[in-house]
Amino acid sequence: MKKEKDFHLSDPTWCRGCGLFGIFAALKKAAVTLDLDPEELVVVTGIGCHGRLNNHFKTYGFHALHGRTLPVASGVKLSNPFLPVIGISGDGDAYSIGLGHFIHALRRNISITYLVVDNRLYALTQGQTSPTSDMGYVSVSAPYGTKEFPLNGPRLALASGGTFIGRGFSGYPKQLAFLIEKGMAHKGFSFIEILSPCVTHNKVITTQWFRENIAQVEEDPKYDPKNRTEAWKKLSSEGKIPVGLIYIEDKPSYEDLVLPDKERPVVFNDLNLDIERYEKIIEKFQ
Amino acid sequence: MKKIGNKITDISVMIAGKAGDGVLFTGNVLAKILKRQGWWVSTYRDFPSNIRGEPTNYSIRASLEKVYGRADDVDVFMAFDCGAVIEHADKMAKGGILLCDGIGIAHIAPSRIDSRTYNIFPLRKLARENFKSEIYKNMIALGALSHILHLNFRVIEGIISEVFLERKGEKIVQENIRALRLGCQKAKEMVGTEDLHPLIERKDHGRLLLSGDEAIAMGALAAGCRYFAAYPICPATEIWQWLAVHFPGFNGLVVQTEDELAALNMALGASYAGARAMTSTSGPGGSLMMEAFSLAGMAEIPVVIAHVQRVGPSTGMPTKTEQSDLDQWVYGAHGEFPRIVLSPGTIEECFDFTIKAFNLADVYQCPVVLLTEQDYGQNLRTVRKFDMTKVKIDRGKLLSQDQLEGIRDYKRYRFTPDGVSSRALPGMKNGLHMVESNEHDEYGYRDEDSGNRIRMMQKRMKKLENAGKDLVPPKVWGDKESQIGIIGFGSTFGPIHEAIFQLKEEGIRAKYMQMKTLWPFPRKKVEEFLGSCEEVFIVENNFSGQLSRLIRSQIQVPFKIKNILNYSSQAFRPQEISAQIHKAVQ
Repeated sequence: MKKEKDFHLSDPTWCRGCGLFGIFAALKKAAVTLDLDPEELVVVTGIGCHGRLNNHFKTYGFHALHGRTLPVASGVKLSNPFLPVIGISGDGDAYSIGLGHFIHALRRNISITYLVVDNRLYALTQGQTSPTSDMGYVSVSAPYGTKEFPLNGPRLALASGGTFIGRGFSGYPKQLAFLIEKGMAHKGFSFIEILSPCVTHNKVITTQWFRENIAQVEEDPKYDPKNRTEAWKKLSSEGKIPVGLIYIEDKPSYEDLVLPDKERPVVFNDLNLDIERYEKIIEKFQ
Repeated sequence: MKKIGNKITDISVMIAGKAGDGVLFTGNVLAKILKRQGWWVSTYRDFPSNIRGEPTNYSIRASLEKVYGRADDVDVFMAFDCGAVIEHADKMAKGGILLCDGIGIAHIAPSRIDSRTYNIFPLRKLARENFKSEIYKNMIALGALSHILHLNFRVIEGIISEVFLERKGEKIVQENIRALRLGCQKAKEMVGTEDLHPLIERKDHGRLLLSGDEAIAMGALAAGCRYFAAYPICPATEIWQWLAVHFPGFNGLVVQTEDELAALNMALGASYAGARAMTSTSGPGGSLMMEAFSLAGMAEIPVVIAHVQRVGPSTGMPTKTEQSDLDQWVYGAHGEFPRIVLSPGTIEECFDFTIKAFNLADVYQCPVVLLTEQDYGQNLRTVRKFDMTKVKIDRGKLLSQDQLEGIRDYKRYRFTPDGVSSRALPGMKNGLHMVESNEHDEYGYRDEDSGNRIRMMQKRMKKLENAGKDLVPPKVWGDKESQIGIIGFGSTFGPIHEAIFQLKEEGIRAKYMQMKTLWPFPRKKVEEFLGSCEEVFIVENNFSGQLSRLIRSQIQVPFKIKNILNYSSQAFRPQEISAQIHKAVQ
C-alpha cells in the first residue's frame, strides 16, 4: 500500500492560498485510498495553473495542449483501459477552447475521471475573463465588465448525457477526495467541477466567498442523485451553489461497448499479422 | 484508344449522367469485369460534392499494360442524359461510339459525324417497359457495353451475384441478368460491326482492384496499426470506412471524433500509451490538425497522418483533386520540429509507404504524413497482390518491461548521439516520466532554462539528420541520358509516364524524377538530377508550383525551372504535359 508521500514528487509553487493545494492533497489522498500505484496512474492536464500539477503529482503525466486534455486522455484510456486515467482542466480549458471535447466525452462515457478546476478566470495569463466569470466581472480583458452570461458546467454535463456529475470545493479536500474516489470507481465518464479560488487575480470570488455561498446537496436527506429531474432542479436553482455528488447513472461505458477484446487492450496486441486471414479479406478486391 | 494491328490494347469508356443515376455503380461493375478479364484498369471519377441532381462522369480505362491515370480521350461513351453528351462529346476519340438515353430534349440524332457514331439508346424506357423500374437502366447499360466491348457474360454474371445475392437474393440476381441480356440484345440490333470495340480476355492472376484510400487502410492494418481516430471528410473517409469494418476482427479500434483537433490528439494519446495510431484527413481538417502536429513534434510521439488532398482553399471542391497542401505539411504548424512527409505515386506505394510511415514514426519518434490526392485516393486501379512477406514491423527504441528494468535513472528524453531516446509506456514499472507540450528536460518536466532549450532543440532536430538511409529516395524513370527532365510527386506519376512515351513518339527524349519523400528533402539526389539536365519541367496540380518552390528553396538551380501547372480541379491528361514540353523544347 502506497502512502501520500509516494505520490508527492515536489512541493508546488502556486500562490500561497491557491485552491490547487487542496486539490493536490485530495488527489494524493484518493490515490492512496484507491490503492493505486504511481506507475499505473496516468494524469493528463491542460494549460493553466492546474497544468503544473504534473510537476508535483508523481504519476505518468501528459501535459497536453490548451483544451485538448480529453482527446489525449480518451486515446490513452481506449488503447489501454487497464490504466486509471485522470484528466484535469481549468474552466478556460474545459468550458472554452475545449468545450466541444467536453460535451462529446460526456456522451461517449469513457471511464475517465475529469476534474475541472473552476476559478472563474484565466489565472496563468494574468486574470482575463473566462466562461464562468460572472456578468459584469471586471478584468484585464473586460475592463468595463464582461457582458456575457456565465456557463454552468455541471448543468451542461447533465444535458450532455453525463453519468457522474459532482462538484467539490478546494477548501474541502476531504470531500473532494471522496468525490474523486467515487468518480474513479464509476464505470463511465466521471466529471467533477472543483470550485477553486484564485487568490491573486480574483478579489471577488474568494475562499471566504465560496465558504459562504456553497450548500451541500447531502444536507437535504431526500435528495436522490439518481434522479435526473431533481439534479436538474438542483443545478438550476437560484441561491447557493450545490456541492457534492449531484448525479449518478448506470450506463455502459464506451470502452465496454467498443473494445473487441476486454482482456487484451489494443496496446498489447501482437502486431504480426495473421496473413492467411488478412489475405482472405483482400480477396474481395479480386 | 491504342491498337496493335487489329487488337485493342488500351481503351477508355465514359459513363456520365447526374448524381444519383448510378454512374458510380455501373462504372465500378464495369471496372471489375475488365479487371477480371485480365486488363489493367484505372478509373477516374469526376463527381460533384452533392448526392443528387448534378452532372457526374466516370471514366474506366483498360489497358493491356499497366496504367496509372486517365486517357486523353473517350472511345465508348454511355450517357444517361443529353446534358452529359453536351458536356463531354468533344472528348470522344475518332472511331468512338456514343449511346445516349436521349431523355429530355434530344440534342443528338442518330448519326455518324467525323467518324464518331451517335446513337439514341432509351435506357429508362427499356427499364420501365421490361422491369417496371428505372433502376434497371444501369444493368441495361452494362449489357449494351458488354456487346460493344465483347465482355464475357460468365464473368459479369459472377460479379452480379457477388453484388446482389447476399444482400438482395436470387430473384434480384436473375432480374439483373435479364436486364443485362436485354441491353446486350438491343445493342446488337443497333450497333454496326464497325462500332464494336472487342477486347481480348486473359488471366488476371488474382490481381486486386482498389483505391489508394483502401490501400492505405490495408497498409495500416498490415503495419500493426490498431487505433484509428478521425472525423469524416472527403476524400479521405474511405480509409476509415475500410478500417471500421476490419479493425474489430484484429482487436483494433476506430473512433469517430468530434473534430480533427480531437482526432489527432486522440491518436497521440493512444500512441503515447503504446498503440500504433493513425488519423486521416483532407483540406480544412489538415489545418485543424496543425496544432497537435506540433505537439507530436515536441512530445516526440510517433503518429501517422494520411492527408488525401482535395481542391482548396477553404471548403474548395471536396470531391476533386489537387496538390495544394504540400506547403501545409512541409512548412505548416507553429514552431520547428522534425517531420517526415511521404508522397506515394501509385496505389502500390500507398500500401508500401503506409507500412514505411509507421516504422519511420516509431524509429524517429515524430509525426509522419502520407500525402496523397483525391485522384488516386478514391479512384480504382488494378494492382498486383501485395507481397505480405515484405511487411516488417520496426518499433525503434520502444522499451520492453525487461529492458526498462535494467535501466538506472530512466529519462524519456535522454540526450543521445542520434537524438532519439528510448521510450517507456505508461503503466510500465521503472519508466515514470512526463510528456510535456512545454519545453522540457530529459525527464520530460517543464524546463525554461535557455541552455536546456538549446540542447533539447538540437536533440529533436538532429533525429532526422541521418534518416536518409531509411527514407524513400526519388526514382528516375525514362531515358536517363536525356537532358530534358521532368519532376513530379504523387498522382502525376501516371500522366508523366505517358507523356514521356508520347514525347518519344515525337522524337523527344525525356526523363522523369518521381519525388517519393518530400521532407526531409532529398537534396543530393535532386541536385544530381538537376545537374544532369539542361531543361527541367516541374509538373504539379496546383497554382503556385509548391514543389518547384520547395526545390528552389533547397537547391541553387543554374537555369530557369519551368512549371507545368493544372489547378482546374482535374488530374492531368498525358497530352497536357507532353504538348507543353513539346512546345517548349522546339
